[in-house]
Amino acid sequence: MSHKGKNSASSAKGKKPSKAGAESKGEDVLQAVVLADSFQDRYKPFTVETPRCLLPLANTPLIEYTLEFLAMNGVQEVYIYCGAHTDQVEDYIGRSRWAPSSKSCPFSVLQFVRVADARSVGDVLRDMDKRSLVDGDFLLVHGDMVSNLILDGALAAHRKRRETSAANIMTMILHSGGTEEHRTKTKGITPVFVVDTKTQRCLHYDEMNPLQSDHYLSLDPAIADELSTEFEVRADLIDAQIDICTPEVLALWSESFDYELPRRNFLHGVLKDWELNGKMIYAEIFEDGYAARASNLQMYDAISRDILGRWTFPFIPENNIVPKQAYKKHSNNVMIETGASHAHDATLRNSVIGTDTSIGSGSKVINSIIGTGCTIGANVTLENSYVWNGTTIGDGTTVSQSILADNVVVGKGCTIPTGSLISYGVHISDGIAFSTAAVLSTVTSTGKQVTNKDTNLLGPDSNAAPFYDPEDDELDDEDPSRLQKSLIYSLANYNLSSSSISTLASDDGSDSDADDADSNLLSADAAHSNRSRLSSFASDDSAGKMSFHADAVHGLLDALRADSGDFDSAKLEFMGLRLANNASDAMMRKAVATAFARRAVELVAPEHGGLDPSKAAERALTACRGAPKFVNEVGVGGGQAAQVEFVLALQRALSHYYNHAKGQDQQSGGKTATLLPAMLQQLYALDILEEEGILGWWGDARAVDGEAMAGLKDKCRVLVEWLENAEEEDDDDDDDDDSD
Amino acid sequence: MPSVSSGHALDLEKFLKSLKGQPLEASINSLISLLKRRQIKGSEPCAVATAHILLQVVARSKWHDVDSLLINVSRTGRKLVDAQPNELVIGNIVRRVLGLIRDEASEDRGDAGDESASDAPTPTDIVPPAATSQQWTTRRLDSANSAAPAARPPIVSSYSSINPPKSLFHLLSTSPPADGDVSPFRNSGASTPTWRGNSSQIHALRSEVIDGIEEIKDEISQVDDQIAASAEVQIHPGDLVLVHQPSTTVERFILRAAQKRKFTVLIAVAPPRRHSAEGQHATFRKKLSAAGITVVNVMNGGLMAYMSRVNKVIIGARAIVATGGVVADAGAAAIARAAKEQGTAVVVLSGVYKLSPESPFDESSLIEWGDSSTFVSFADGPLVSGAEIRTALTELIQPELVDTYITNLGTHSRDHLSSLISDHYKREDADFHIWEEAEP
Repeated sequence: MSHKGKNSASSAKGKKPSKAGAESKGEDVLQAVVLADSFQDRYKPFTVETPRCLLPLANTPLIEYTLEFLAMNGVQEVYIYCGAHTDQVEDYIGRSRWAPSSKSCPFSVLQFVRVADARSVGDVLRDMDKRSLVDGDFLLVHGDMVSNLILDGALAAHRKRRETSAANIMTMILHSGGTEEHRTKTKGITPVFVVDTKTQRCLHYDEMNPLQSDHYLSLDPAIADELSTEFEVRADLIDAQIDICTPEVLALWSESFDYELPRRNFLHGVLKDWELNGKMIYAEIFEDGYAARASNLQMYDAISRDILGRWTFPFIPENNIVPKQAYKKHSNNVMIETGASHAHDATLRNSVIGTDTSIGSGSKVINSIIGTGCTIGANVTLENSYVWNGTTIGDGTTVSQSILADNVVVGKGCTIPTGSLISYGVHISDGIAFSTAAVLSTVTSTGKQVTNKDTNLLGPDSNAAPFYDPEDDELDDEDPSRLQKSLIYSLANYNLSSSSISTLASDDGSDSDADDADSNLLSADAAHSNRSRLSSFASDDSAGKMSFHADAVHGLLDALRADSGDFDSAKLEFMGLRLANNASDAMMRKAVATAFARRAVELVAPEHGGLDPSKAAERALTACRGAPKFVNEVGVGGGQAAQVEFVLALQRALSHYYNHAKGQDQQSGGKTATLLPAMLQQLYALDILEEEGILGWWGDARAVDGEAMAGLKDKCRVLVEWLENAEEEDDDDDDDDDSD
Repeated sequence: MPSVSSGHALDLEKFLKSLKGQPLEASINSLISLLKRRQIKGSEPCAVATAHILLQVVARSKWHDVDSLLINVSRTGRKLVDAQPNELVIGNIVRRVLGLIRDEASEDRGDAGDESASDAPTPTDIVPPAATSQQWTTRRLDSANSAAPAARPPIVSSYSSINPPKSLFHLLSTSPPADGDVSPFRNSGASTPTWRGNSSQIHALRSEVIDGIEEIKDEISQVDDQIAASAEVQIHPGDLVLVHQPSTTVERFILRAAQKRKFTVLIAVAPPRRHSAEGQHATFRKKLSAAGITVVNVMNGGLMAYMSRVNKVIIGARAIVATGGVVADAGAAAIARAAKEQGTAVVVLSGVYKLSPESPFDESSLIEWGDSSTFVSFADGPLVSGAEIRTALTELIQPELVDTYITNLGTHSRDHLSSLISDHYKREDADFHIWEEAEP
């Protein structure tokens, strides 16, 4: 199913020393596994044609930084997994100084690992385990990593820990990013590490994103109770995903066949099951030096800026790390390679300019990186942009914060706005101005030439069309990876929850759309439940509690909306969810109350017929066979105290919708408000609630907690008075009976 | 921190160890990478590494006559200079070796291939040519063990500024200066010798050049000692001496003086970095206190206030350019200027191997810019994105600010530097790094 090495020379060369290494117990030989494919598509449209690790970062292919880092740290044996576009990577390496046949290769082994039908990092590492290529400590790095860290200290510490106990299997290299906003921190997905202050043992890992419904991290109580007396929860770390591993790490990957991602799945899972597997993972947090991964275009942008700012020293253009580069530093921090030319009146600042590139008179190049062989016309403005090799930009064009790939031709007087991505060989005619960021390519997402050229947008000479990735549609709206697919990080188009410690998680979802006049409750619901489901990747922790609520409400609502039919399956699903999440009675009650309240609110809404509140309440509660029974058993399920709680939950749910409806128009507000007495009456009629329950609620202080709650309660006065009277009548009856 | 040698990261020591096991080209490439990655940095390590690799080039590259050897050496040298253009010592060592080859070749031609004659100047090294490689390894071990004073006595006072050595050959030779036949070499470099010899002559030449490079290596290792020899002359009892981020050369110099004299040392330290606020020059301070010397640490900013009381400013050079300008650690130029204003003497310590025949017209090209994280933490997000941060590692001290240069050959004034340069470097090698060779 898989085969070793590309050419016989490299594999033959590769086998010998690694065997020798095994005999000497691999102590002296440092090995590294490079994952040059990350199984992500955050660099589209560029990666349709070129592998990510060959994309130029400051005019040097990304893989060079990784290999330099390994060479710098004295790594001897390197195994590279390429994945997509393997041939291109192997061809590039084969012609570079890293080629095993070339004398300048600092590695004794450089071998390509091909894994057939690998679909995730996990598949690759499981395959590595089967082949047992690595036999000692090894570095696991990605092919898009830039770092100048010297790992000697971390390696020595790792080795010492490993000698103390075989359970200490891995050390992660992290870099402190400070508490404030930092361009090199990953946007969209924030990694959270819980690290013991003294031993540096990593106790918990989680990821957070702004799209999730809550911003909580739930820790295993055992962390505080048993594992650590002093620990830090750090969300500030920059994770370049450099790991020092023992071969046991690969074995662990093999044990867990469903792990895909090294952090989200593997690290999280191993740390969570610490009791089960008994393995320990440590985090080495660096304050100095530099380490980051160009894992998406935003990080590409950030790391390019860091290179211009010399943070990645010595890996900066001026040092000409790659042979044949010949950059020289000039004033204004402009790095110009020999052979490049620019008009004397061109303004250059804080930029990198490759060889054979010419820049016309009056042009401004600021904070930009221009590759080799480009022709920049006169009066061009290029700001914060990346122009790769062989591209032509016509006179008077303005480009801001965009990426122009190889051999792009931009006509005269064009305007390319912030965030544009223009892929290989795209031609844009003269005088084209995009109003918003454009993503253009000459190929489709499957790598075929585009057939329908968009001449309206790009002018008559064009050969390209806006790039469209069908896989994007398959992603959920709230998948955080969406946030990482553009050059510019923006949350403008997303409904964000403002997490609060409110009683109902659903508050959050619709609060933020409240100002959005179009949004109705239904869409807010749907978005909310999606979001919550995704917010926790391992269903039973972190946001698990919240997600139970949302999932349960969603499931019940679906059943209720079906209007007729049996409620048993919904009940079964609900109980299943409850077991899976270990939900408490209070949570179940809340979920049931919310679901029914919401259904009732829907029914009074004009677009669903605008039923009378009493009708709506009846329909919501009785339309489905088995629903009253369900409410009775699951939602209330007990004596007076439970009934009080259920009414309270119902009141809270309704008060939320009441607030919302009131904001829209007075009439529907009033309707929503009368839903509470209507529902209470209905529940009373169904014998689910008893007088004691409702009256107990009436007297409960929590029922008047807030204006809306008090308002709702007030609507029930008539009902309560009626109930009190009925009670008296009952008493009278009793008296009568007694007297008889 | 574990000791450097235990780790995997490469450094000078590991590079030198790897030399034997690797093919020549791999060694050259690995040195180039190390220089580019700044894993070998500082003038002395660069000089040592360059000498070692050139020795390998002489010993192991293919060459059949002097011209091809010169081409091999200068080609390798050019690659090294390109890899780290800010370290002038690399070019200096290459020029020294080129000059050495020319000298040896012209001598051999003059002696008509008489092997015994060519051995005469180095009587301690009579080894059959076949044993050459064996020889240089053992010798390297010798030089590593000690300063080997018996084999190579310190340059005696006759090599003073009044009586500069007549030729490179004699400067390096262990034997006392020979008599009359020195002078012919003086200008012999003007024409490249068209020396062609048989294999035995090539062997002889090879071993002689290798000996010469060994001597350059020894010279580098002894520089600190020899410079320290003049410490007592320079530092007087009761002096207030200011040193700026003392290099090992400066430390040795001060410590030697401390054996005999009582004086006060002001150490100008770099602004504290986040992790090493306390540790700067701690061992040096400890040693000085042990010798009974008062040590005061001064931040760069507060220096000017002390300057009027300081008697002498001692600066360790990274390189000296032909005009007398000194490339030193960043911060030294301001100190030198302050000293000039106050009429304080500025003394520059430097091995002769750091003296470069180059005098770049563009001074900024001499300055090396370093890592931005030296003074600003990368974790400080707003500062990282909001400010452009430049950290100079070196500065050029203008020649007029320097009063005295002390090298391993003695004490010199600025005017005398040019004769030192012409003694050490052949004129035709001065620009070897910008030659474009005609042949491939």
